[in-house]
Amino acid sequence: MTATLMERRIRWSGLLIVVGLLFQMLTLPLTHPLAFVGFLFLGCPLVAAGMLFFLYSLISNDKEY
Amino acid sequence: MKNTPLILFSFTASAAVVGLLTALRAELTRVRGGKIFAFMALTVLPALAMWAGVNQHLERSTSTQFCLSCHVMADFGKSLYVDDKSYIPAVHFQNHFVPPDHACFTCHTDYTMFGDYKAKWRGVHHVLVQYLGKIPKPEEIKLYTAYNNRECLHCHAGMRKYEEASSHRKNPEMLSQVAINQLSCISSGCHDTVHDVTTLKDATFWTPKASGK
Repeated sequence: MTATLMERRIRWSGLLIVVGLLFQMLTLPLTHPLAFVGFLFLGCPLVAAGMLFFLYSLISNDKEY
Repeated sequence: MKNTPLILFSFTASAAVVGLLTALRAELTRVRGGKIFAFMALTVLPALAMWAGVNQHLERSTSTQFCLSCHVMADFGKSLYVDDKSYIPAVHFQNHFVPPDHACFTCHTDYTMFGDYKAKWRGVHHVLVQYLGKIPKPEEIKLYTAYNNRECLHCHAGMRKYEEASSHRKNPEMLSQVAINQLSCISSGCHDTVHDVTTLKDATFWTPKASGK
């Protein structure tokens, strides 16, 4: 069974979120300005992009494939 | 790891695992229940993890340890231990007039509606300078604007010791001038020894004794 366009988008959004969350986990144990900046400017945008891409995949009305 | 609540770390890890499962099994979303699961996994859980992480990082970024983790700040941290009552930050730090764990932030945030966020934004600028710009010498570091009495009065206003001090009663207008920032606490010659990192080499230092805590 081939994946639909929506499923492929969900897969990509999930991967973006996972990478963002993993990066956030890396910074959580550290008390350092670089960890703070990395969390805010790398981890958060990746997670936010994944979430927005997922929401877009739900509402978009593109033809399959 | 000691500064990270284990529960937040575990929650973020769980959100990542659930997100990964959803990404690998995207075909689950063909049914209604799968769509709801994906919504939870790819929107609600990451948003909660991100919100909790932002709060954790913001809270931690107010710690003295955080501010002093940049090498250029070392002398400013050292100035907190000067054994001289004329050094205003040292007196506040050593006597716990400010929380020692949050000493820098307590005095260097703006006590306004968005003061904490403005302070954090300035901090981000400092990080950029630290890694991408020319790092100034400690003695070249200055405040962006003159220190506002508002920050002092956040704690001292209404305090009996402050209002009844003879030095604050030299003229009847003094307290009201201080209140409207016309007469600076720091630069008017009264409490003008602040961090003064240029004099540290001649200073003596206080060594905290073990408190037994």
